[in-house]
Amino acid sequence: MNRFLLGCLAAWLIPTSLALAQPAPTADGATTAPLAPPPGEIPWVTNLDDPPIGSLEAIKGGTFNTFMYDYPLTFRLMGPNSNDAFAAWNRAYTMSFTLLQRHPVTDNYIPWMASHWAVMPDNRTVYYKLRPEARWTDGEPVTADDYVFAWEMMGSEAIVDPFYNEYVATYFESVEALDDLTLKVVGKQPSWRPLDDYALFPMPRHAIDLGPDWVQRANNTFQVAAGPYRVTEAITGKHVVFDKVPGWWGADLDYFRGLYNVDRIVVHVIPDGRELDYFKQQQIDMTLVASARIWAEETDFPAIQNGWAHKKRVFVDTPQGIYGLHMNLQFPLFANKDFRKAMQYLFDFDTLNKNLMYDAYFRIASAFEGTPYANPELKPYPFDPRKAREHLVKAGFTQRGPDGILVDDQGRRASFTVIFGGETIERHLTVLREIYKRAGVEMNLQLMDGATAFNRGLERKYEMTLTGRTAGFYPEPKQYFHSTFVESTNNNNIWGFGSPETDQLIETYMFDMDLQHRLDAMHRLDAIVHDEAFYIPFWTAPYLRLLYWDYVVWPEGDVEQIGRAHV
Amino acid sequence: MHLPRLDPITRKRFQRFRRIRHGYWSLIILAVLTLLSLFAEYLANDRAILVRYNGRFYWPTWRFIPMETFGQEDEWGFSDAETDYLALRDSWRAAGADNWLIMPPIPWDPFENDFWYTEQRGEFPPNPPDFARGHYLGTDSQGRDVAARLLYGFRISMLFALALVLAGQALGTVIGSLQGYLGGVFDISSQRFIEIWSSLPTLYIIIIMATFFTPSFWMLLGIMVLFEWIHITYFMRTEMYREKAREYCLAARSYGASHARIIFRHLLPNCLTPLVTFTPFAMVGAIFALTSLDFLGYGLPPPTPSWGELLDQSLQVENRGKLWMVLSPFAALTITLILVTFVGEAVREAFDPKQYARYE
Repeated sequence: MNRFLLGCLAAWLIPTSLALAQPAPTADGATTAPLAPPPGEIPWVTNLDDPPIGSLEAIKGGTFNTFMYDYPLTFRLMGPNSNDAFAAWNRAYTMSFTLLQRHPVTDNYIPWMASHWAVMPDNRTVYYKLRPEARWTDGEPVTADDYVFAWEMMGSEAIVDPFYNEYVATYFESVEALDDLTLKVVGKQPSWRPLDDYALFPMPRHAIDLGPDWVQRANNTFQVAAGPYRVTEAITGKHVVFDKVPGWWGADLDYFRGLYNVDRIVVHVIPDGRELDYFKQQQIDMTLVASARIWAEETDFPAIQNGWAHKKRVFVDTPQGIYGLHMNLQFPLFANKDFRKAMQYLFDFDTLNKNLMYDAYFRIASAFEGTPYANPELKPYPFDPRKAREHLVKAGFTQRGPDGILVDDQGRRASFTVIFGGETIERHLTVLREIYKRAGVEMNLQLMDGATAFNRGLERKYEMTLTGRTAGFYPEPKQYFHSTFVESTNNNNIWGFGSPETDQLIETYMFDMDLQHRLDAMHRLDAIVHDEAFYIPFWTAPYLRLLYWDYVVWPEGDVEQIGRAHV
Repeated sequence: MHLPRLDPITRKRFQRFRRIRHGYWSLIILAVLTLLSLFAEYLANDRAILVRYNGRFYWPTWRFIPMETFGQEDEWGFSDAETDYLALRDSWRAAGADNWLIMPPIPWDPFENDFWYTEQRGEFPPNPPDFARGHYLGTDSQGRDVAARLLYGFRISMLFALALVLAGQALGTVIGSLQGYLGGVFDISSQRFIEIWSSLPTLYIIIIMATFFTPSFWMLLGIMVLFEWIHITYFMRTEMYREKAREYCLAARSYGASHARIIFRHLLPNCLTPLVTFTPFAMVGAIFALTSLDFLGYGLPPPTPSWGELLDQSLQVENRGKLWMVLSPFAALTITLILVTFVGEAVREAFDPKQYARYE
């Protein structure tokens, strides 16, 4: 196999995040008429001063072998089944080449499909100047009209994709091609991050025939793409091959230099959890180790000792989603704040971490962990059975029943059921269950199918549940903590939490153009959420555990910061 | 052995069964094991069997006794938590007190997490067998005693399989007998129903149902009985068809015997051979089905001790190379299934009318 330098981790991970940031629910605000500077007078901006992302010394060529667990159900990037692990690869390398990117180290906007951009003072009109070099894989130029088409397509019924339909409806007022290379996007309302909110990726109008049966027709068609790779071979159940587009138009352009060095990417289908075996046999070139135990005990095999392969922890600072044990505020026991606090103080993270997770994890304290909006003064509730007992007594649970479980005056037992959907977390919960039992609280466990457990959370048909949400670049407090969602179900406010005060804070975050106001509001919101104690935040590892063979080389200075400074 | 009031054929069958040594001994071993497992609380438990404290006896096996009873206090400062009998024993021994207590042979509950190894030696669970601490088969990935979980898992498997097979065979016998005895429209329509019903894939249906609610012991039993009865109906039906045309049946009818009397008094005793011979194999199937479901994570809810769950744990990538975790449930499953199969084989042979084959 040829030696090659891989671009860098950031280039590998980032392109997916921008394109699919969860849209924030927004309200229609009064807006000013969009300004329309005459063509030729648009105040174009660009940024060519940031350091290159990839290494310019990277050797080109070679094959990179990676893996996925399931063969993709479709090659489409919209419509049913289009959000699996394969789609992430597909997005990053072929289709969703967005207008702008964030630099993975500096976090600044950098040109990507657009070479220049301009934000109007109304903060909802954005102009983009497209690169004249850009070509589709079939040789046609990428024009502004292809972005207009992408917008039409995302809003179309034909793609059978409510997520994109909703996304377009909440975010975009209009998308217009001023000429072949000038694009004008008008958002629904002013935004303090217009370049994130009002960005698009192109879709080839000349190659897509949107009809009622598009979903079926496009299922197994390799698309016409604008990115550096395209799918050239796909064998059901075995692998999908991405080949470099010969003479790709962007190869020598600013930030693309040093990236996409590999000629061929083979995504192998391997059984779930077997990546270490495949890595040892050199059938895949790089893998992430999810388990702290395997990392500690099984990654010192001969190839590593001989220096033919390497293990490395790469620290990343990404926004963390809300992940933990959630309490339904409509369940009588958890309606009591003291009872909720007792649950927090009984959560013995150290025992779990030390005995089951190789001491490799850190507790999350904030609902907005990994963003500047996290309140820096928050500390996780410590394990403190005495305090827990005090709160339990305050909640009325003073006596132990004949089975050792606490009861209150009305004979109610301190007992509830946890619904969870993943076997991996089962052992943590069974250990917790014993700790709670010792303190006089009965925690029943109910393992369900993942999707069912998730839906029970959304429908608020649970007492306690274990789920996680991924985080976008920016916190989305409204969908979680706003009181408008208390009355209805099927939303992310799974606890049924909300108060006029927090609503006000969320509105401030969403619409205030002043950064300090937004920060203050979010810190206050974070403190309230912490004090209300309706979910027990879990843990995170602030790094990725990587194994890679020696021919995979990283650029100088690993990428350590993804996300922290996204204000 | 004296066998009173048994007709000569049955007695002969029983004697024949006794003569098949491996089957006979398998039955005895199984019976003893099952009986023992009914008293699992006295064999593997974190509660002492008997405590002698300040001149009084305590029997804590079935009772929650708070620490304060024995003047114990835990590191959290609670005195009303459950007594920690192992710690109590150690402290009494160290103090040379008159008080004493008897722990079960396996001093661990199937749910209790023992993290002593991590705290003392930095060895993460699963920990290998350690006789000094009473983990005769080691611990699982949460520090729970494997032997205790095997024992309780055995009890659940056996009781589940017995209940399933008894209920299934009873239902199947009734339906099959009625088909054969009544014949006609009932036979034809119920046969069509059985054909449709038997084509449903049992395990998949249970898995689908388990995604909507976690089945409890009884619920899982109920669902599986719905599919368990089918097989035996075929045999009962044909037996009945054959027997009801025999002279003794006609004679009984001509005497004016009721249908119920004919079925239960005359026909059923003559149709029992398939029932008896298939039952042990149905047991094997039932144990295996429960283990498979637990293995797949769709069986009894966690943290119910179960062989399938233990097998699943031991086959996870993280626990590779922890032989005690694979071997224990594997050996337990294999031995139990072999014993039951031996019994079934012996029963089948004992009931086989063709004792002597003559080749010409």
